[in-house]
Amino acid sequence: MTTASATVDSVVSVESIEPPMRRAKAKGNAWLTLGLAILALVWVAPLFLLVLTSIRPLSDFVAQGPLAWPKEFTSANFQAAWRTGNFATTYRNTALIALVKVPLGVFLASLLAYAIAKLRLPGRRAVMYLVFLGLTVPIYIAIVPNFVTLRMMGLTDNLWGLLGPYLAFGIPFEVLVLQSFFRSVPDEIIEAARIDGAGSVRIFFGIMLPLSVPALVTVAILDAVSTWNEFLMALIILNSNANKTIPVGLLNFQGEFANDNTGLAAGILIAVVPILLGYTILQRWIVGGLTAGATKG
Amino acid sequence: MTATAIRPRSATARRVQLRGGAGAWLFALPALLVYVMFLVSPALQSLFFSLTDWDGLSPSYNLVGLENYVAMASDPVVATAVKNNLLWTIVTISFPVVIGLSLAVFLNSHVYGKSILRLVFYTPSVLPLVSIASIWGWLYNPQYGAINALLRAVGLGALAQPWLGQDATALAAAMVPAVWLRTGFPMLLYLAALQGIPKELYEAATVDGANRWRQFWNVTMPGLKQTHLIVLALALIDSFKVFDMIYAMTYGGPGTATQVFGTYMYFNVFQYYKAGYGMALAVAITLVAIVVSIPYVRSQVREEAR
Repeated sequence: MTTASATVDSVVSVESIEPPMRRAKAKGNAWLTLGLAILALVWVAPLFLLVLTSIRPLSDFVAQGPLAWPKEFTSANFQAAWRTGNFATTYRNTALIALVKVPLGVFLASLLAYAIAKLRLPGRRAVMYLVFLGLTVPIYIAIVPNFVTLRMMGLTDNLWGLLGPYLAFGIPFEVLVLQSFFRSVPDEIIEAARIDGAGSVRIFFGIMLPLSVPALVTVAILDAVSTWNEFLMALIILNSNANKTIPVGLLNFQGEFANDNTGLAAGILIAVVPILLGYTILQRWIVGGLTAGATKG
Repeated sequence: MTATAIRPRSATARRVQLRGGAGAWLFALPALLVYVMFLVSPALQSLFFSLTDWDGLSPSYNLVGLENYVAMASDPVVATAVKNNLLWTIVTISFPVVIGLSLAVFLNSHVYGKSILRLVFYTPSVLPLVSIASIWGWLYNPQYGAINALLRAVGLGALAQPWLGQDATALAAAMVPAVWLRTGFPMLLYLAALQGIPKELYEAATVDGANRWRQFWNVTMPGLKQTHLIVLALALIDSFKVFDMIYAMTYGGPGTATQVFGTYMYFNVFQYYKAGYGMALAVAITLVAIVVSIPYVRSQVREEAR
């Protein structure tokens, strides 16, 4: 909203200086906005249909078809989907692993990023190659040996078996973004602290981390999204319903609800609502961090 | 290292940096240990298993050299997977990049509701791939799906078909949601980069009589050179990782029509008990992924290791 009004202001003020050219442009803007709005409607249509289907009874959906506006509304689909989809369990599991994995992963990655960016880590070129190559490697190459290792440790069909692999999978991206942010912290601040007698540990906790809160938050959010969404490792490690995470649970649920379109829609929505809400609220951080991390290079 | 030569520092500072040395490894080790244990070492173990006839269950196996790699050459499913991975790479890079760039250029001009539009186009990117597969599987449903219903509603009922259930359309149908979900990210990157192109360049071009189209090719595109490289590299890397979408939407089918390396590896290891062969598939696609993305990795290291 604020951006829209700001745009209007700037258009108006420029218009008073240079009327003929600007008026032509303002007209173009209306068409452009219309075109983009139509495309946006197409883009959001699958999600809109999903919401619409989830709040109508199955009989109404079958009788009228998926595109018609519902004649009746209901919340029963959500109750049925929540129970059948075992969502109470999968929600708890996904939240638990994310709550432990994300802070721990970001912390470990920031230690490494600090060593690379500011501590002149010996051999850091090799370390950077090793870590950044991890960005390019498809995860499925590590799946089977990890499965074997976890089976040996008795950690298959155990939520916490996911912790090690998840930490490892997240490290390349976290380190890439964090070390590039840490690098922008002025050396003068660190040198001043050194002269005052602060060691590397105190500089890390007292200067690097507090100055890097925006980057840490962004990395944590993106890490939480990918942890919430991870599928392959969870599919292979977790067997029993009591241990499944949301993506694996959703896949089973999809099979069970094959003929109940409204229930399926409700279930999909239950699985994605936290991500959608979180994204909408935190999008400023996500956008800022993604673009800062990637446009730097 | 070279920084000291460029920018003279005080004697204290130099001593500080030397002192960083060995102690720095204490900071680096925890993350590196986890990383090596759960990603580097498993990848190398996969490389080793790809040289064996291991079935994935029994404790014993024999070294068979490059037999698994040789067998790939005569496996018709591998030929399908190569074709599918290639098509997947081309389509899910070109469409998202072109659409994302266009959206960014349009959103960067004076448009109303810019932040809402940006939100809408990026939203699919944060959804779990499995849920995206569920949503689209549901839209594609031959009987109750919205896509066939829409075709019937506008009188094109003859075109209604089981999109995911037939060889001719299954892969293309699986690519549509991939494009839907992968357009937002290039858009964001381009949008950020566009804001860094000085307005004066456009004003100068306007004075010189260049129209919008000419300005786009002569001012905008050169200004985005760096971003193009990053967008393409990240899209390329991403496209090799395809697994979730195919697994959840088509399960590699119908038949083997939509198998890609990732899913075919999974089937070999967990369904056909040919783990050695499956690992060879994973190694092959990983090597390709590494080779094509080495320039990107090198640029990141160079940029940062100054």
